Amino acid sequence: MSGLEDFKDELETCFGTSCGFCERGCPVYQNLKVKTLCMKGRNRTMLGLLQGKFEISPAVVQAAFECTLCGNCDRWCSLKNTEHTQAFREYLLKHGVEPMKEHSSLAASLRNYGNPWFQPRSARNRWTKGLNIPKATPGKADVLFFAGCTSAVTKQLTKSLIASAKLLQSAGVEFVTLGQDEPCCGSTLQRIGQTEAFETMASDNIAKLESLGTKKVITPCPGCYITLKKSAEKHGSKLKVVHVSQEIAHLVKEGKLVVKKSSERMTYHDPCHLGRLGGVFDEPRTIVEAIGTLVEMPNNRYESRCCGAGAGLQSAFPKLSRELAAKRVAEAKSTGATTLVTSCPFCETQLRTVPGIKVSNLMELLFDNVLENEKKG
Amino acid sequence: MSYIDELVAALGKEKVLVDPAEKFVYGADWSPRTSDEFCPPDVVVLPRTTKDVQNIVKVAFAHEVPVTAGGGLTGMLGGAIALYGGIYIDTTTMNSVVEIDPKNQTIRVQAGATLQEVNDAVKPYDLWLPHQPESKWVSTVGSAIACDNDSTFGVRYGKILNCLLSAEIVTGTGEVLELGHRKAHFTSSGYKLKDLLAGSEGTLGIITEATLKLEPVPAVRRVDMLVFPRMGAAVDYLSRLLKAGLSIEAAHINCKRRLQFYTHSYRQKFGKDPEIPAWAEALLAIAFSGDQEVVDSNRDYALKIAKEFEAQLVEEREIVDAWWASKYTLDFEPFKQKWPDSQKQKKFGAADPGVPVGRLEEFYHKFIDVAEKHELEVIGMNAYLEHPNSIGFSLSCAVFVDYRNADEVRRFREFHDELSKLAIAFEGTMSTFMSDSSQKAPYLELEHGASLEYMKRIKRIFDPKGILNPGKKFVREARR
Repeated sequence: MSGLEDFKDELETCFGTSCGFCERGCPVYQNLKVKTLCMKGRNRTMLGLLQGKFEISPAVVQAAFECTLCGNCDRWCSLKNTEHTQAFREYLLKHGVEPMKEHSSLAASLRNYGNPWFQPRSARNRWTKGLNIPKATPGKADVLFFAGCTSAVTKQLTKSLIASAKLLQSAGVEFVTLGQDEPCCGSTLQRIGQTEAFETMASDNIAKLESLGTKKVITPCPGCYITLKKSAEKHGSKLKVVHVSQEIAHLVKEGKLVVKKSSERMTYHDPCHLGRLGGVFDEPRTIVEAIGTLVEMPNNRYESRCCGAGAGLQSAFPKLSRELAAKRVAEAKSTGATTLVTSCPFCETQLRTVPGIKVSNLMELLFDNVLENEKKG
Repeated sequence: MSYIDELVAALGKEKVLVDPAEKFVYGADWSPRTSDEFCPPDVVVLPRTTKDVQNIVKVAFAHEVPVTAGGGLTGMLGGAIALYGGIYIDTTTMNSVVEIDPKNQTIRVQAGATLQEVNDAVKPYDLWLPHQPESKWVSTVGSAIACDNDSTFGVRYGKILNCLLSAEIVTGTGEVLELGHRKAHFTSSGYKLKDLLAGSEGTLGIITEATLKLEPVPAVRRVDMLVFPRMGAAVDYLSRLLKAGLSIEAAHINCKRRLQFYTHSYRQKFGKDPEIPAWAEALLAIAFSGDQEVVDSNRDYALKIAKEFEAQLVEEREIVDAWWASKYTLDFEPFKQKWPDSQKQKKFGAADPGVPVGRLEEFYHKFIDVAEKHELEVIGMNAYLEHPNSIGFSLSCAVFVDYRNADEVRRFREFHDELSKLAIAFEGTMSTFMSDSSQKAPYLELEHGASLEYMKRIKRIFDPKGILNPGKKFVREARR
């Protein structure tokens, strides 16, 4: 039985309910207004396909893949809609649909380089230069900093990793990294429907972390955070996975990091995987409030709108992806804030493509505002 | 050239959906049906302007192709389902605000705007559209008018027709008409053709724009719940409150069973059903709104009078809050929204009759009898007061329907028909918030007698070829 068939009962429940409450917050549907592209319609498409009412067609493929898996539909529902969609993608790939060329490219890079961005494995370790972070070895890895592919191999994003590491060091947190041996968490594979490859990767990752004796993983990437956390849960591991904002907010509250506060108006964009899907809302806000004056966007926390970067949308549907980013930036600007803060490398990159507001990484912003005598490294 | 080719030529390829999967999703609404009963149209069109709609209808008129317009597809009786195929117009692509006039408290919108989108747009002006069905996040202005659906705040503001000042439609010949009285609240001039649109189900024209009357947002709202030993006592109590001159904003009488359906978030929070006194057979949810002092005095007076009617205030606020969340705020815990949770095995199905106020309790017992006769699990009755400052009920007589079981769906339809006919026998009406659709069409003569022929003639004036939503209201011989 395929994963999608496992959800048939839920698909029928959605058909039986038909409330359509998922439509209101769906960024893709609100932009395109085609019902196959909101969750109610997508669930119906899956149901019709399983019932043999129609064949796989370009519109079916579009329904499966033109979605950011942001989970806004889940927030207004009680069904596991994003899981349906992932299973839908997997189903199509298993039934002869060729992966989108952009997604094939991501998967090929993951196979060959261990990251989706065609960067050599050695690039993964560049950001640690001069930071004096020990390499993880068995028994010496209680706390592991998991940098994540995107930030580690993208020059513009390494500053956030450096800031995170220096903040942890300043507060006296001892941690290790895997250096260039750090694997991909598998999030990308999972979101584009390559479930089997993902399952293997997830299982290997947990085995690797367990073999090192890791007790806690701190990661600055919301995609890695939610993927590693769920992988650990699925494999019965006691590994604790936290986002760096959770760790750092705790240190700020404890006074281990003293922050210089300004009156600047800042707004915070909840990354989907950290906020709505990960349940981490307060800690990033604690940090923003320590630095400046937090003003909320109309759609915040559970109702936050996706930036448009996720789940392969940015690569396969770039025009729509840009439009979603523009909407989110417009919402940020409407608050009167001068800085849009976020804590995800994908959101950060995506939101920076839209002019009109300064986009800051939470950790970089904090590092720049921690009193000088607190800084080390 | 086929009519679909003509649609593509008139609108552009991106506004015309012909893929079977895309058409399929438009083939069902919220009404009880099995998943084998999807009834997709032959083509879906996504207009952006009135001109687009006009072009669509002109093509349909020339080719005598059925045209069915829909909004959020949350209708509970299949009103926007294209029974005879043809063209489905998805009006949700027409959701722009045309004008907000705060001084005159009006908004002009395209008909595909949801009721929530209207309220989001006017919120900065401290105004709101008080027509508020539970489906407001999805229900569009056009479908609210065409279906004449219910509103939580009917006892103060009425339903959508009380808010509708003017509407633009495209008739069955493709002519664009404005019906109504611009921004004036009422008129004594001419025939009130605008009023024909309420409950017209898209059979007279496709509504493309509407001018709606807005109201100031009240500063404070207080919702309470009282229990009564019987439904009739709750009716008498409400009558007394109105006589006393109180300004009630919302009033809903629920039978005891119905409470459970509206207290999902209570069960989520406490893991049990709410408890009310064993003697209580009816619950009245009642809201007052306005300035704090006015709300307080209205409420105090209402509670004082309650003692005369053997009523008891529900002190446990969580019960009231859970009910109100279900009815209005829709403020459910994330990932635990009520509807899918409550529909996993069976879904909500209802008949929507109206009966004289003095016969509510008698009809309630008949409803239970009919449901049991058809072997349907009873959800219960909710009587909404939907006429401004008077006791006029919309009745939701609800049962659970196993939508995976064709026989149970059939029995539900028989239940629905029997209650509809019974309501007429009670000197009432078949429908108060779902309209007729195809389900009630066979009984329209029973309801309307000789005037039905006049309705048919009116229909022919607006839609001479009978292409607009065929099979709704009036029986059409052959079903696709």
